[in-house]
Amino acid sequence: MSTLFIANIGPLMFAMLIILLMIGYPVAFSLSANGLLFGAIAIHYGLLGPELIQALPQRVFGIMSNDTLLAIPFFTFMGLILERSGMAEDLLDTIGQMFGPIRGGLAYAVVFVGALLAATTGVVAASVISMGLISLPIMLRYGYDRRVAAGVIAASGTLAQIIPPSLVLIVMADQLGRSVGDMYQGAFIPGLGLAALYAAWVFVASIIRPSHMPALPPEAITIRETTGRAGYGSLLVVVGVAVAISYILANYDVVHPIWACALAGAGAYVAALADKYLKLDILSLLARRVVIVMMPPLALIFLVLGTIFLGIATPTEGGAMGSAGALILAFANRRLNLKLLKQAMDTTAKLSSFVMFILVGSTVFSLVFRGVNGDLWVESLLIGLPGGQVGFLVVVNALAFVLAFFLDFFELAFIIVPLLAPVAAKLGIDLIWFGVLLGVNMQTSFMHPPFGYALFYLRSVAPSEEYIDRVTGKRVAPLTTGQIYWGVIPFVIMQLLMVGTVIAFPRMVTGVLDKGTGVNPNAIHFEAPVPQDTSPPPDFK
Amino acid sequence: MQFLLAFSRLIDRLNGRVGHTVYWMVLAAVLVSSGNAVVRYVFDYSSNAWLELQWYLYTSFFLLGAGYTLLRNEHVRIDIIYSRLPQRTRAWIDLLGGTFFLMPMALVIMTLAWPVFTESFALHETSPSANGLLRWPVKLMIPVGFFLLALQGISEIIKRAAFLMNLIADPTPHHAHGTDELAPHDLVEGDEQ
Repeated sequence: MSTLFIANIGPLMFAMLIILLMIGYPVAFSLSANGLLFGAIAIHYGLLGPELIQALPQRVFGIMSNDTLLAIPFFTFMGLILERSGMAEDLLDTIGQMFGPIRGGLAYAVVFVGALLAATTGVVAASVISMGLISLPIMLRYGYDRRVAAGVIAASGTLAQIIPPSLVLIVMADQLGRSVGDMYQGAFIPGLGLAALYAAWVFVASIIRPSHMPALPPEAITIRETTGRAGYGSLLVVVGVAVAISYILANYDVVHPIWACALAGAGAYVAALADKYLKLDILSLLARRVVIVMMPPLALIFLVLGTIFLGIATPTEGGAMGSAGALILAFANRRLNLKLLKQAMDTTAKLSSFVMFILVGSTVFSLVFRGVNGDLWVESLLIGLPGGQVGFLVVVNALAFVLAFFLDFFELAFIIVPLLAPVAAKLGIDLIWFGVLLGVNMQTSFMHPPFGYALFYLRSVAPSEEYIDRVTGKRVAPLTTGQIYWGVIPFVIMQLLMVGTVIAFPRMVTGVLDKGTGVNPNAIHFEAPVPQDTSPPPDFK
Repeated sequence: MQFLLAFSRLIDRLNGRVGHTVYWMVLAAVLVSSGNAVVRYVFDYSSNAWLELQWYLYTSFFLLGAGYTLLRNEHVRIDIIYSRLPQRTRAWIDLLGGTFFLMPMALVIMTLAWPVFTESFALHETSPSANGLLRWPVKLMIPVGFFLLALQGISEIIKRAAFLMNLIADPTPHHAHGTDELAPHDLVEGDEQ
């Protein structure tokens, strides 16, 4: 009996972990208790020496002095402050007006703002709640199909999970032993690709079912010239000039391309401010509003990602600079007060604590699990899969997709990824590619019914009872939970398509990295202020 | 039992106070870290002491805040089953989990970490990098953090037992991880993934 037990101690330990986790006691403590229990058993049978357990404080100390993980509280804090800074509201109002007059316009605006918020905050709850509170009532008012409205908001909110700077990528980089900067660069194309995919879906759906996403009626467009014109020409000119300036500066090696884009963006901002306060009236109202409202998020993107890619700041410091920037923005918008600050610090401290304690727990677990050769057991299960690399990736992604119904990404990343990473490395899989792939996959877990967090966030702010719209005075039916679930299904499918695409074309991730460190044309193109305007759909004029 | 409940309230107050104190270190860490990047870029100067201060601060608030996080029931659970169980069953899970999972783990790590601190203290150990900081203050955070966690564990066990004996109402704070009855104000305070 005991020999059978000893021979299978690894699998038993894993089975026990699953049982303990499913009971619902906090993950961090179940993990460490399971590790200690099996550690004691293994020591009792002489499989392990007691020094393994004595090494625990040293392991905890190693977690403490890990610079990468320090980025977690910074990006959390930044997101919490930004959530209340008024930035999202301003963006949604203005961008909604900009896209409003075309069919599906509000949906494009949600995707576009979702991607912008993702590149600044990395906080799904903040994006979904802002869009649910601001865009959803407008979409319902003007007759959007309810499932379309719910799906596009929930899905665009989850972009925060994959577009840098996201917590998923930080944790993934830590667990895979890769640099956060590389992970960010690798995730750019898949992340923006997803946003483009969502926009393409809106485009196609708006052609097939025009009634599902009507254009805003003229009376809903409030930003207009006194002459009644919409003012798109002026906006195009501003964008064109900014693109041209940054292109010239970058192409003739005047400054680094990131600086070129920053300067062009700042130039457009100054021009818009001058136009406004000196009453020059050169620009249309729309152009001015769009430029002014786009500036805070673009400045934050520069402050965080720009400084990381320029090599000025480490990802950790980038997070801290972003937090400082968010505080300044909230202060400038007169939203910063002691209550908000305390709430943000409180939530940040609690989140950091639970994340780090899961990490402590998973360290205890994996220390013992490796000690009893559990890692070899996992490897033997996975390495013999048919199909080599692709077979492994398909199985692992299917597994992660299913597990994501039950676990959230911190648990997946801290428990599952360390078990998989050595096998992936052995099969010759690039670990950045692997991490980004799992990141896209785990993003899905935020939106698939019935447990995706994004769905809960949307449910919590969507109307659950019939209400009277304050503009039209008509009765509006509530948004049902079923409509939210059906609405996200097309996006879950798109998500899986992207997983498949990244498996098929690893160069989407690694192509950016091959060119070496430092100046990186591909990455730069994507986080440049002005070219962001290329992600909206092709039919926009 | 009344005595134990009074003890539990005392612990709750202590950890509540600790939590509200240490969260200021979040702001301090933000300022120190962004300051480091700016100073290095502008003045081409960097100091190991300031770099280490970043993670000293981080470590302090996440370790010392562990008990506070437990008090607020924010240590994340897989609640796919848990959230559907009756209140009393949940109280049993928390009572047994606290006794057999949390307490042994917190006490083992606390006990093992104490000599690590005393040794560092006796040797005046400093960081291996030039101008680095003294090590013992940060090493002290491990046993203290796990001690506060264990204390809160005791308090939670007392509260669950009292609830099961029908002495008090359900002590579990409403928590916002993936449950159906979310209200917007909870999200703003409590959820940010």
